[in-house]
Amino acid sequence: MAEHHDTEHTEAHKEHMGIPGYLAVFGVLVVGTIVTYLVALTDLDSKLFPGANTLVALLIAFTKMSFVIWYFMHVKWQSKMIWLSAVAGFFWMAIMFAYVMQDYLTRSTGAFGH
Amino acid sequence: MAHTDTHDDHYHPPGLQHQFEDMKQQEESVSIGMWAFLVQEIMFFGGLFTVYLVFRSRYPMAFAAGSNHLDAFLGGLNTLVLIVSSLTMALTVYYAQKGNRNMQVILIIATMLFGCVFLGVKAVEYTDKFNHGLVPVNGLNRKIKGEEHNESNQTSAERPSTQTELASQEKNSLESPKPAEHHANPRGEFQWTGENFEASREIILEACNKNYLTKYEQIGYFSNGDCKTGVIDQHKVQDKVRIFYWIYFVMTGLHALHMIVGLGLMTWLLIMAWRKTYSAEYYSPVEISGLYWHFVDIVWIFLFPLLYLLGRHFLAGGH
Repeated sequence: MAEHHDTEHTEAHKEHMGIPGYLAVFGVLVVGTIVTYLVALTDLDSKLFPGANTLVALLIAFTKMSFVIWYFMHVKWQSKMIWLSAVAGFFWMAIMFAYVMQDYLTRSTGAFGH
Repeated sequence: MAHTDTHDDHYHPPGLQHQFEDMKQQEESVSIGMWAFLVQEIMFFGGLFTVYLVFRSRYPMAFAAGSNHLDAFLGGLNTLVLIVSSLTMALTVYYAQKGNRNMQVILIIATMLFGCVFLGVKAVEYTDKFNHGLVPVNGLNRKIKGEEHNESNQTSAERPSTQTELASQEKNSLESPKPAEHHANPRGEFQWTGENFEASREIILEACNKNYLTKYEQIGYFSNGDCKTGVIDQHKVQDKVRIFYWIYFVMTGLHALHMIVGLGLMTWLLIMAWRKTYSAEYYSPVEISGLYWHFVDIVWIFLFPLLYLLGRHFLAGGH
């Protein structure tokens, strides 16, 4: 927040984060990628429960995505409106997944299956 | 953070368009427009992720087997390349806000460079799929003549259809004749044979022993629809693996298309930055191009584990 003085009349101008901040986010993303790769080589499906590998991979991907959206895409410093648009996008996608899968996963089992 | 007080009604920032109250409103309008576009992009890729979800939930072992032929190292490398390009893009916005023209130009060029590296690695991967008969469209794979029919397919084998194939054919023409380990593929069909099929049979039978296979999978892989008594059917497995490769090519292809569009955006941005267009007052084009670039990065963050890593642990032992 040190550069405000040279542009005194730009009211909306806001410096989001210094270079160390960006590098820290970058570090998180790199570590996340390496961890994803290493975890994928371990058989968590047998050690924990079937699907554990996929679950861990997706959790790491969501974490990485959150960091990108929150810091690199500046949602942290934007109005709530923008945050809401981003969340709404993923919310509707989740609805699509849920309704499609409740159909597919319940076919051919139970009383009406073939 | 934001200073919302309009302390001077007569002052107008130079970058302010007349339809906006102040810079804050203008910047927010630009951002929200870009986010509306990105949300429809989420839905666009969301449809493809839904297809992935449906088919992977139905044939998880075929997906794992297909995925294991992908090069996870190259996929991981590309992930890192994109993350670095995201960093340089974020820093471009940072320097645009400061009106630092030289750093903008350097960082935009760096971003483009990493984007090109990504596409280059992608081309190498596609070439490998083309050479191994893993492009899910018959005729679009490298045509490898069988021992007995070596004349009839001569002409059709020399007809490249896409740019990737063109590049790979040029490459192949420089190489010595292919060793005999390659399966004959005179019509360039999708093939899931040889050691690829052996590897998939291994993990499918193991899943059978652990009672992991669903009824759908057993019908999908075995001659009589039962993994305990039936024989695994190469053609049945091949059809299911082929679904994986369809999804792989459509999703990574669309993602690559987004990268190419992004590179076009960067070229334009580079010219504008070179002309010292952007300053603390006006940097919205940099900001929203950055949003686009980061979005494409996010898509890859999901594509990498979902396409490249889903079956790795079956190979890593532990059974």
